[in-house]
Amino acid sequence: MASTVGSAAAVPFWRAAGMTYISYSNIYANLVRNCLKKPFKSEDLTHEKVHFSISKWDNGVPQKPSLR
Amino acid sequence: MAMAAFRREGRRFAPLITPRPIAAVRSSPIPEYGLLHFTVFDFAFLSLQSQYATFGHGLWLPKGPSNLLAPLGVRSISTQIVRNRMKSVKNIQKITKAMKMVAASKLRAIQTRAENSRGLWQPFTVLLGDSPSVDVKKNVIVTISSDKGLCGGINSTSVKISKALHKFTSGPEKGTKYVVLGEKAKAQLMRDSKKDIELCITELQKNPLNYTQVSVLADEILKNVEYDALRIVFNKFRSIISFVPTTSTVLSPEVVEREAEAGGKLGDLDSYEIEGGETKGEILQNLAEFQFSCVLFNAVLENACSEQGARMSAMDSSSRNAGDMLDRLTLTYNRTRQAAITTELTEIISGASALEG
Repeated sequence: MASTVGSAAAVPFWRAAGMTYISYSNIYANLVRNCLKKPFKSEDLTHEKVHFSISKWDNGVPQKPSLR
Repeated sequence: MAMAAFRREGRRFAPLITPRPIAAVRSSPIPEYGLLHFTVFDFAFLSLQSQYATFGHGLWLPKGPSNLLAPLGVRSISTQIVRNRMKSVKNIQKITKAMKMVAASKLRAIQTRAENSRGLWQPFTVLLGDSPSVDVKKNVIVTISSDKGLCGGINSTSVKISKALHKFTSGPEKGTKYVVLGEKAKAQLMRDSKKDIELCITELQKNPLNYTQVSVLADEILKNVEYDALRIVFNKFRSIISFVPTTSTVLSPEVVEREAEAGGKLGDLDSYEIEGGETKGEILQNLAEFQFSCVLFNAVLENACSEQGARMSAMDSSSRNAGDMLDRLTLTYNRTRQAAITTELTEIISGASALEG
């Protein structure tokens, strides 16, 4: 969602590319996680497992669910 | 199954019905013997049914001329049936006890995380406030529930609150949509609010809950759903026995601007200095997205805690009920056993005394 403020300030590059602040911070968090040392790194990698199944509904009809 | 019961009972009275000499029939039935016997003589057995009246679980008594059944209240339940019931009830009790232990251990693991995650959204509430009474055009209700059942009534209360919110926030020119997390709420909301469901998310708890997962989920919701205010409905975990349904409201940045003009907490936003090259609008947008992600994370954790706590108490009460049921069945079993022994004794004694003359 591009900024709707009518000011002349430029939007940051990531928002212009279509990312939200959340995805921006996630990417940075991944970078920091990869910088960790050996024992902490493997523990922390379990903290970034993503799994859910999402399905959009269109007027009362569920579409096919997609795994994420 | 009723026929099988009749067969078992009928075998005890077989000497009275068929002329064939049969070996002494014991009171504890042997299934194979019984089946063989009655496939041959079933027709004879059935034809005699009309002459006898059944009472209770299959005590066959002759009909008198006035059609009165002799002694009322005499029952002869086979002890095998009661014993089977006792065995299955005991197994159920063991299973529910085990489920309670599992839920207790899961609860311990997730409780500390939920309490720690409260610190994520508290600064947001201090800064932006939580105003459920805000009046906006596009409301989105995010209902959080569990995927698995047997957890008491928490999912039903969440759905009830969501429906009430829906009623409260809809009106002319106003639209309210649902985003459903979890199978249980999906099943309940599908019944009467099918048209209003926007997104459905399941299988959230396959891996242990972490912030990355919830933030990706929040991202999906923000991208797919148009909203002015997001209302998240979940069960807040107050203690092991107390789960309070709560809603948290997250406003979109445009609405925040509008409310800021109206004064109040949001009106104080201007007193903050903004560092860096960003405008207030941009910061508000970043903040709103991050606030949604944090609040959703806390809500999902609290709901998971409440689910485990509710499951613990549900399984505990069901083990207790199974124990009560087992006590009552044991009493019935002993009564039946003693009645059967008494009946056999009287038969033997009366038979013996008849022989003596």
